[in-house]
Amino acid sequence: MRVLLLTGKGGVGKTTMALATALAAAERGHRCAVISTDAAHSLGDALGHPVGPRPVEIAPRVTAQEVSALAELDRSWSEIHAWLQAALFDSDSLAAEELLVFPGLEELVALRAVHEVEAAGQHDVCVVDCAPTGSTLRMLRLPDVLRHLMENLWQWERRTARVLRPVAERLGAGRFVAPESVFDAFERLYAEVESVRQILLDEDRTSARLVVNPARVVIDETRRSFAYLCLYGVATDAVLVNRLLPESAAQGYFARWADRERAELADIEKSFPVPKLFAPLRPSEVRGVEALAELGREVYGARDPAELFVRRRPVRLAKRNGATLLEIDMPSAHADEVDVWIRGHDLYVSVRDFERRFALPGSVGGLPIADTRWRDGVLEVQFAQRAEGERSP
Amino acid sequence: MRLVLYTGKGGVGKTTTAAAAAVVAAERGLRTLVASADVAHSLGDVLDVRLGPEPRRLAPGLHALEIDPRVESARHWGRIQRFLERTFRHQGIEAAVAEELAMLPGAEELTTLLAVEDFAARGDFDLLVLDCAPTDAALRLVTLPEVASSMVRLALQLAGAFSGLAVPLAKRIVSAPLPDSAVFAEAEALLYRNLAALRARLSSRQTSVRLVVTPERMVIDEARRAHTELALFEVACDAVIANRVLPDRALREPFFADWGRVQAERLAELETLFSPLPVLCAPLQDDEVIGLERLGAHGRALFADAAPDAVLSRAEPVRFARARGAYWVRVPLPGVDPKRLDVAVVDGELVISMPTRRRKLTLPRRFAPLALRDARVDGGTLHVRFERDAEAI
Repeated sequence: MRVLLLTGKGGVGKTTMALATALAAAERGHRCAVISTDAAHSLGDALGHPVGPRPVEIAPRVTAQEVSALAELDRSWSEIHAWLQAALFDSDSLAAEELLVFPGLEELVALRAVHEVEAAGQHDVCVVDCAPTGSTLRMLRLPDVLRHLMENLWQWERRTARVLRPVAERLGAGRFVAPESVFDAFERLYAEVESVRQILLDEDRTSARLVVNPARVVIDETRRSFAYLCLYGVATDAVLVNRLLPESAAQGYFARWADRERAELADIEKSFPVPKLFAPLRPSEVRGVEALAELGREVYGARDPAELFVRRRPVRLAKRNGATLLEIDMPSAHADEVDVWIRGHDLYVSVRDFERRFALPGSVGGLPIADTRWRDGVLEVQFAQRAEGERSP
Repeated sequence: MRLVLYTGKGGVGKTTTAAAAAVVAAERGLRTLVASADVAHSLGDVLDVRLGPEPRRLAPGLHALEIDPRVESARHWGRIQRFLERTFRHQGIEAAVAEELAMLPGAEELTTLLAVEDFAARGDFDLLVLDCAPTDAALRLVTLPEVASSMVRLALQLAGAFSGLAVPLAKRIVSAPLPDSAVFAEAEALLYRNLAALRARLSSRQTSVRLVVTPERMVIDEARRAHTELALFEVACDAVIANRVLPDRALREPFFADWGRVQAERLAELETLFSPLPVLCAPLQDDEVIGLERLGAHGRALFADAAPDAVLSRAEPVRFARARGAYWVRVPLPGVDPKRLDVAVVDGELVISMPTRRRKLTLPRRFAPLALRDARVDGGTLHVRFERDAEAI
C-alpha cells in the first residue's frame, strides 16, 4: 500500500489537496483511503457533509475518515480507558471526559489508523491529511520516543507494578497501579505503532507531499519542514503549489502580489529539488466531490497521483575511503540552522527546535565525529576511524 | 500582567495579528513581549529578525522571543531530571534523559506555560502577547494544566500511599532507588503548585483568547469548535478577529466578484455565531505584512481606537456542566423574554431563536449522543438540560 502524507503550514490547503489527490488517484483505478489526523478536522467541511471516525465512501473507490482520539479510546483501548477513568477521576466534571485524551494519544491514534488501513488490505493508497507542521512532526517523532521508553523503562515499570500492586491493594490504593491487562494493552499498542513506523520509513511506499502557497512566510516554514521530514527519515516526492493568482486576477489591487509571487516561485524552484505541481486560485471556494475531483485532475494532469515521483532514502550510512559517513538529505536547510553532536553512543542532529537521536550501529558507536560538511544539499557526518587493533564493542 | 493568546486555523494570520497587536501596544507605551508558542515558529519570519529563546529588544517597549521547549525544560526540570537520570543509570540506562523528557508528549505545552509564568513573575512586562499554534495544539496548551494536574494528583496519591511502609519494602525488592520524600516535595512544588497557578492564570480575567479567522467557511467552522472547547475549560475569549477581509478596491477586480459575495455572507454569519463577542476586521493588505513598519500600520487598521491590551468583551461566557447524570448548557442572555424564545438542536448545534436574532452554538462532542430535555430561563441565563438518549422519553 502506498502512503502519501499531505502536510505543510496551516491554511495552505492540505485538506483540499488530500481529497483532490485521492479523487484523482481513484479515477485511475486505485482504491484510496483518506485519513484526517488533524484533531481540528476539515474533511467534512471540505466535502460539505459530515465525516465520522469510521470510514465512509465519498466517491467510487474512495473512503474518508476523521480519526477521533475519544472514539478510539472507547472502541479499541477499553482496558486503558477504564483504568485511567478509575484512577484519575471521581469527579462529576464534564471536562473530566475530555481530559482522558492524555498528551500523545492523538498522535498514537493517528498512527494506528494508518496501521488499520494497511492491515485491512482494502486499499491501494492511503492519503493522510496531516495536522499542520508542528503536530505532524510530533506524530512522526512519537514512535522514536515510545521505542526509547519501551526499550529502557518498560520492563522496569512492569516489574515494579507487579511488586507494588499487592501492597497498594492492601493500602486501599489499588486503583492507582495499572493492572496487568493495561500493560498488555500498551504492549499491543506499541507493536502496532512499530509496524506503522516501518511503513512510514519505507521509501518505496511512503512519501510526503508538501503543500505551499507562494508567500514568503509559508515558504520559509516549508523549507524547514522539508528538512525536518528528512531528519525523521521521510522523503518528500513533490511540492504542491496551491492558490497561484491566475493571469486574469494578477492586476489592479493584486499587481504587487503578482510581482511578489513571481519572485517566490523562483525561490520555490530553487529550494525544493523535487517535482512541483501547480493549482491556481479558484474564483470561489472549492467544496464538494465534483470541484475537488476537478482540482485533482488539473494538479496532476497526465501524472498518476499514486506514483512515487522521487525515490530516495533521506538518511543513509555510507562508506568512503574506509571512513563511515552518515548522510542526511537537507537541500532546503541553511547550514546555520543545523547542529550535530554526540552523546554516549548516540548521534544527535537538530534543525532549529527539532532534534533527532540516532542510535548508532556498533561499528561506529562511541567514535567521535571527525568532520561535518555540506555537499550539494547533503549533510555528511564523518566518523573517526577506529585505531588499528581496536575492536568495535 | 495582561496575557492575550492568539489562535485560529492554520494560515489565517495568527502570527501577523499577534505581532501587529504587540507593535501597536508598544507604541502606546506598554512594556510588551510577544512570544511564539508554536514549535513551527513564524514570528521571526514575520518580524524579519532572527529570534531565539531569550527576549530580544526590537523597539522601545517591544521585545520578542520564540520559546524553545528544550531550553525551557532544562531550566525547569532540574532535580526531577537528575533523579530520573540516577534511577535510569541504576537500571543500566545511560540515556540522555533530559532531551527525552523534553520530547515527551505534553512537555512542550507545559514548558511553554512555565515560561509564561516566569515572565509574569518577573514583572518586566505589562502585556504578553502569545502567538499560539493552530487551534488544536493551542487547545492542548490551555487544557494541559488540568490534564497534567490530574496525572500529578495520581502520582502524588500513589506516593502518599507508599510513604512509610511501602517504599522501604519495595526498595528491597526492586533494588532501584525509589523517589524519596525530597523528590516528591519537589515534584509537588514544581508541578502541582505551578499547575494550579497556571490554571488560575488561564481562567483569570487578565487572560483572554482571541480567535483569528478569515471569511471562509472551513476557517470559521474550526474557530467555532475552538470557542466551544475553550468554554468547556473556562478560558475566556474576548474577541474574534476577521483577517484578510478583501477591501472594496480588491473586490472591484472581476476575478474576485464571487469571493466578495461569499465574504459578505461569512462576515454577517460571524456576528450570529460568536455573539456576544465583538468582531474586529483587518483588511488584506496590498503586499505581505513583514517588518515592524508594515505590522504597525496593519495593527492600527485592525484596532482603530481600541487598545490591544483592553479586555474587549466582559460578557459572561457560555458554561457547560454535568450534574446528577444530566448535562447542562448555560447561556447568559441578559434581558431576554422567555416567552419569545425557541431552543432546538440541529446537526450538533444549539440554535436559540429570539425575536430579532438567532444564535448558534456548537455543542461539545460529548453532547452528540444526548437528547435535549428541557430549557428554561432563570436570572437572565438560559439553562438547557440534556440527558442520555436511552433515558429520554
